[in-house]
Amino acid sequence: MASQVVDRERLEAAIDVHDVRKSFGRTTALNGVSFSVPEGSVVGILGPNGAGKSTLMRVLTTMHRADSGTFQVGGIAGGRPADIRRLIGVLPENAGYPGGRTGLEYLTYHARLFGARGGDARAAAARWLDVVGLGTPATALIRTYSRGMLQRLGLARALIHSPTVVFLDEPTLGLDPSGRRQILGTIRDITADSGVTVLLSTHLLDDVEQFCTRVVVLHRGEVMADGTVAEVSSRFSANRRLRAAVEHQYLVRALDVLAALPDVIESGESSDSPGVVIALLDRSIDPQVAAGRAVGALLEAGVIPRWYELEGGRLSEAFFAMTTEPGGGPG
Amino acid sequence: MADLDRSGSLSALAVVADEELRDLWVGGRALVLITAYSLFLSVLVYLLAANSSLNFLEQRESLSLTAQLAIAVGGLLTVIVAADAISGERERRTLESVLVSPAPRRSLVAGKLLAALSLWLACFAVAVPYIWFLGNDVGLVAAAVACTLCVGTLLALSLACFGMTVSIVSPSNRISLSLSLFVLLALLAPTQLPPSAQAGWAGESLARINPLTAGEHYVGRVLTDGHPWQQDVSWLVSPAIAAGVLLVVVLTAGASLSLEPRSTR
Repeated sequence: MASQVVDRERLEAAIDVHDVRKSFGRTTALNGVSFSVPEGSVVGILGPNGAGKSTLMRVLTTMHRADSGTFQVGGIAGGRPADIRRLIGVLPENAGYPGGRTGLEYLTYHARLFGARGGDARAAAARWLDVVGLGTPATALIRTYSRGMLQRLGLARALIHSPTVVFLDEPTLGLDPSGRRQILGTIRDITADSGVTVLLSTHLLDDVEQFCTRVVVLHRGEVMADGTVAEVSSRFSANRRLRAAVEHQYLVRALDVLAALPDVIESGESSDSPGVVIALLDRSIDPQVAAGRAVGALLEAGVIPRWYELEGGRLSEAFFAMTTEPGGGPG
Repeated sequence: MADLDRSGSLSALAVVADEELRDLWVGGRALVLITAYSLFLSVLVYLLAANSSLNFLEQRESLSLTAQLAIAVGGLLTVIVAADAISGERERRTLESVLVSPAPRRSLVAGKLLAALSLWLACFAVAVPYIWFLGNDVGLVAAAVACTLCVGTLLALSLACFGMTVSIVSPSNRISLSLSLFVLLALLAPTQLPPSAQAGWAGESLARINPLTAGEHYVGRVLTDGHPWQQDVSWLVSPAIAAGVLLVVVLTAGASLSLEPRSTR
């Protein structure tokens, strides 16, 4: 029964990576990377520069051969690269485009590379140009495209053959905030409609928080965390803090009340905001619940906070904790 | 299954060749090269014709020189395009998008090779009116056209395969172009040596081994000396072997074409 469950999970995994290693000379780019991506999810691969994100993407898209380890994409083992390429769509980091061709010609060519015939290829190209918002300048030369338009063209190229797994390597690199929002919105709309699995490599934490259902954090070629964004944030970020402003005469009582609560690890007065008490909440307890109990206890003791707020617990904190602190990692 | 794979490979080859031809010709790169070559050939043939009328140069020699020039320039343009085909795409970052498609690597290389060879065919087509103009009076038009096409195609194929192989394994486009042009010039250099330097057993052996000197020698024998085409066909052995061997080499290297020149996938 247990093995059936495992088999089913493996079958439903769009990407399954097990102990993949890759070195370039003496530099280890991937050091025993293992993780699994459920079908239909949008997964962010996070990591600082040099973490191994692009190498991982290139191994999974069959551009690099792993030194050891195994992986499968869409149920196809990594040893069958030609079969994997039929299933995947890829937007490489800093992809180049032929400036002398139009967007329509470029996409038609790539549709034909995936086996579409002349008329069908052109129709698919026109359709995808419309989807990514490049329908109007379909006959404009690519050299006239802005950076954002190029990224959208690359996205259309990655999706032209309706892949089941899409790899996007830094799709928002070099884009302004509105360009980032636009391209991520397009990715979200397309994936929501088609149920395609997306692996999004980025070093932009906001992108992952806003658009990904899961996250894999890479650091120095190793997986530091793997799970939903909420799981990773709560497991690896610093403890969340409750800040509450109380009247001066209730300050000592408030600190006594908070110190007596089992959910509070430590409490004290803010050094830069007099009259504000800070309670460090136990990370093993849902922060909303712990904060509710703390405020309830203050009210019961006759301390009425002028305001209170929850601080911390964001993915960015978890990320920095994992990638900058010595020894930071899965606990 | 093998038939399906073969039809897929052929289809991918046709798609890549079509795209590369459009890129070369509609994109304008080939047109610029061929226009420059046409102007050069016009000036040269004018000078040859003028010299011929002054009896400085035999009409047959003018014809042979024109054919040899068409072959040399055709080879030069072909090797330039072939040497840029893969390493240039790597540097322009357009290769990865093509490599992640299911098109077989060998088909990608073969498609690019066909497109590079189109430059030779264009050079040949441009040379035909000049060959007709010079060869009409001496009754050598058919022989000159056939000879130029045959020798030029063998040499252009050899050079295209060589340039493409260098491009596949080269760490940079600059190295690929430099090495290809250096080898072309090294092969062409002996053709500029005086006839005395090519005489004797050693001189003839070297001329026969070098595909470029062998090809040019064959053209000279047929067009200048008026030999029947069968008489000196042994001079075409090294161009034919070079074309065959280099074709196998480029297709073998092409099968493991990768994003990085030293890794394979």
